Amino acid sequence: MDFFLQQLINGITLGGVYALIALGYTMVYGIIQLINFAHGEFFAAGGYMGVILISYLSSQGLHPYACLAISLVLSMGYCALLAMAVEQLAYKPLRQASRLAALLSALGMSIFLQNGLMLTQGVYDRAYPTEITSGGFAIGAISISYMQILIVAVTAFLLVGLNLLVFRTRIGRAMRATAQDKVMSALVGINSNRIIALTFAVGAGLAAAAGIMVGLYYGSVNYTMGFVPGIKAFAAAVLGGIGNITGALVGGLIIGMVEIFAAGYISGEYKDVFAFIILIGVLYFKPTGIMGENVDDTRV
Amino acid sequence: MKRLLVLAVAMLALGLLLAGCGGEEKKADQVLKIGTMSPLTGPYAADGNDIRQGAEIAVEVFNEAGGIPGFSKIEIVSEDTACDPKQAVAAANKLINEKVAAVVGAYCSSSTIPASETLAEENIIMLTPASTNPKVTERGLPYMFRTCGRDDHQAPAAVKFMQSVEGVKSIFIVDDKTTYSQGLAEGVAAAATAAGINVLEHDHVNQGDKDYSAVLTKVKAANPDLFYISLQNSATGALMVIQAKRMGITAILMGQDAVYHPKLIEIAKADSEGMYCTFGAIDKDAPKFKEFQSKYKALTGNEPGAYSAYSFDSATAYLMAVKAAGTTDPAKVREELLKLDFTGASKQINYQENGDSGSNYTVYKVQDGKFMPYWNSLTGEKY
Repeated sequence: MDFFLQQLINGITLGGVYALIALGYTMVYGIIQLINFAHGEFFAAGGYMGVILISYLSSQGLHPYACLAISLVLSMGYCALLAMAVEQLAYKPLRQASRLAALLSALGMSIFLQNGLMLTQGVYDRAYPTEITSGGFAIGAISISYMQILIVAVTAFLLVGLNLLVFRTRIGRAMRATAQDKVMSALVGINSNRIIALTFAVGAGLAAAAGIMVGLYYGSVNYTMGFVPGIKAFAAAVLGGIGNITGALVGGLIIGMVEIFAAGYISGEYKDVFAFIILIGVLYFKPTGIMGENVDDTRV
Repeated sequence: MKRLLVLAVAMLALGLLLAGCGGEEKKADQVLKIGTMSPLTGPYAADGNDIRQGAEIAVEVFNEAGGIPGFSKIEIVSEDTACDPKQAVAAANKLINEKVAAVVGAYCSSSTIPASETLAEENIIMLTPASTNPKVTERGLPYMFRTCGRDDHQAPAAVKFMQSVEGVKSIFIVDDKTTYSQGLAEGVAAAATAAGINVLEHDHVNQGDKDYSAVLTKVKAANPDLFYISLQNSATGALMVIQAKRMGITAILMGQDAVYHPKLIEIAKADSEGMYCTFGAIDKDAPKFKEFQSKYKALTGNEPGAYSAYSFDSATAYLMAVKAAGTTDPAKVREELLKLDFTGASKQINYQENGDSGSNYTVYKVQDGKFMPYWNSLTGEKY
């Protein structure tokens, strides 16, 4: 039982990270039907920005949690700007072109950003300062680290914020309208270009937050770190029903849990296999994903 | 008419090419090119760059000392293998086109083996500073040399240490399924079973994983005396160490030579304290090493990495052999290489008939943020 509960906690933590990244995929897909393969790189860029800022701020003698909060906000802002620039450069000119062209542009952007990180930050892993991450407590034989709580808390906080943004504000309403019909919403006075850029920015901001969480949780960042979680989060978004925010959360948690339980009860080498078997199974029986509705009225 | 013109241009181009070849045959100011191949990008880039730089220092030392008679200059040509067999073969072909006289590399055994087959066709000497799989020197290739130790010596050395020094009765093994890490892990499992140590489980993770919580929860539940970490990469080793400590695993932690790297301590910090790693004994107080270390620091700005000294010694051995032979003819250089017996930065270099240079595994312990030599497998005594 202890073993099961411990794995459950591990699964929720990992799932929370996947969910945060998956949100960006889902939002961008929801609004312009583009699978943004460069999204994993925003996650990596956020992780790097985090290590640079946290190292600098903690060397200035700031309280660790203040460092974290400031770095989180700044990295999210940085990645939001980066995503808007990428959108302007690589996707906007292709908006009228076939979907395949935009997809290839996204793949190219992913390779470009990854190499950019490698050339500017070096090939070695960068270590996070550990003052924030160490520590935790135990309930019986189950150990919970503060970092795990922090990841779940930050994920929950950002999710609530995102939900408020999308469903309770004018911008959110404009997003949902653009997702339904770009031309019609433009006719009623919504600047769809601005809304699309904003969607990219919000998605990348969430990925950046995930990047910092992962960097802190695992202790280091690497320029290749975006690739595998990017693919997993993409799977999570599809699993939950791409274009659906709650779906991304559910999909992320499922992929995280399946991975952890497959590794825990079967063997570590099979965890990816099982994560993707679940994905294929869901797509086979419910092609729109768990929370997905008809593809036509995809929501942001 | 057009066809004739094309033909004429083609003939002309061919003629120039032949002329070019003829020109290069001249011996006068020949450049001695040495290739290096190692993973310069990707997850193993830390060790890969160490290898490239180690060889560069060796060339620097020879160039400073006036080079080798008959050659105007010694040069390094570096290729990236990314620890991928296909890319390693491509790198080998590129180095052949560059007309290198010898190759130092590669890092991953799974790259070294196919690359060495390609190089063997051209009779190019290959000296590996880091590939420890026994197969590297067991295929009867005359021009394959190895400066580091072998896995089938490392595994028994590690097990002997577990039993005789720590009195370990049960172990849990994890590897990441590379030719190297899995081969070594299986060697450890076999040696441990033979020695009467209970192997509780031998589990695997995937390369590129960051989250080890699931497998570590298993380790914690199994409660072994010692947790043996066989990963291809020091950075992922550090992640595993950090997460193991956070999980509350109290077992003794032990890694191998790919996990052994200053980066491990830099990333895992206090969590790595008390961890053991097997690595070839390098006497860091020896004058030869100190000399190498100061050159390395001056030129790269870094401390030497795990395999820098082996790479330096591999390139040095080759250059010494060329100097003695007075030619780069592989058969003659091989003869000279086998005659060598010199003190390198890493160890006493003395190549044997099969190309190996002997293993001298030592167990290092992380103490106060540094790898300290702890136990010598040859003498069976603590330092």
